[in-house]
Amino acid sequence: MSRPTIRIHNVTTNEVFDREMDDAEFEAYQDRQKQYLMEQAETKAKASAKADLLKKLGITAEEAVLLLS
Amino acid sequence: MAKQTFTTGQVLTAAQMTSLQQTAMCGGAASAKTASYTLVAADAGGAISMNSATSTTITVNTALFAAGDTVFITNLGAGICTITAGTATVNSSASLALAQYESGFLDFTTTSAAIFVKGSGAAAASGGMTLISTTACTGTSVVLSSIPGTYTNLQVIIDNFAPSAAAKLEARYNGQGGTTHQSAYFSLGSTTFLNPTSKTSQARLTDANLRASNNETRLFMNIPYYSSTDNQKKLTQFQLAGQNTSNQDTQSMGYIMYQQNNTAITQLEFFWDTGTTFASGTAYLWGIK
Repeated sequence: MSRPTIRIHNVTTNEVFDREMDDAEFEAYQDRQKQYLMEQAETKAKASAKADLLKKLGITAEEAVLLLS
Repeated sequence: MAKQTFTTGQVLTAAQMTSLQQTAMCGGAASAKTASYTLVAADAGGAISMNSATSTTITVNTALFAAGDTVFITNLGAGICTITAGTATVNSSASLALAQYESGFLDFTTTSAAIFVKGSGAAAASGGMTLISTTACTGTSVVLSSIPGTYTNLQVIIDNFAPSAAAKLEARYNGQGGTTHQSAYFSLGSTTFLNPTSKTSQARLTDANLRASNNETRLFMNIPYYSSTDNQKKLTQFQLAGQNTSNQDTQSMGYIMYQQNNTAITQLEFFWDTGTTFASGTAYLWGIK
């Protein structure tokens, strides 16, 4: 399976290379993907908790904003 | 007039003498090029003028020129023209890249080595601004590497860029991971400073997912004293404007603190938080004296 490609522009020699990520770059890329998925899960969990609380209080999101303003 | 080999008894014409006189006075017609070019033996003693809107190279190979030969090169186009060592060796105390209206000449010391002497206009002592590189953004990650440390400040503009699928732009310096970057920014409509990627391997440049394949986005970055190796923080100030996934205008501004105090910045990398690819974009790197 091919890896994501990376464009490297050596600005001193003006040479441009397009190649697949090497092992270290691919590892960093996978770490970033994990971080992204964690952020997505956190965002989803927060939204879910917020919706549960609004339901418990019996108010809408707009009404909650009005209360806090 | 390119270098000639005269023979005994040859009669020179008035046109030849005029052309030789022009060459001797550093003038004469240049051979116009509009794309990357490899020098040939007939270029000895002549002039090349490059005129291209995109980056080009002039390649220098061995066994074509004799010691003492010269070739004068001028860049008339907006694209950077870089003198590139092919099979020959090219040394220079200045950059081998010619920005628009810059010029220099190759002075061959042997058949396989030349010194590139760049015109003084290329090396302003202060206040000068040079377009170092122009890079079309493609792939998952765009890396500007081997940034010369000969300028005081760097300026980066990425124009008309977009992800292939909605995502947030991130940046990383010197390819370094660990706790090396800290970013903080605020976005239009937000009253809170956001600091979601504090002390991580990369810095985030916007809180909004930028719309896929939209060409209205522009990033502007300033990096003062990027090549300093003293014990001072490397600070980047940035501004980003584009459209979010709801087609609304969005902008953010903030800073990146690169935490490797004693390390010069020689590489800049840009990528998307989701791992998607660049659908478009052009990155311009400027050096400021």
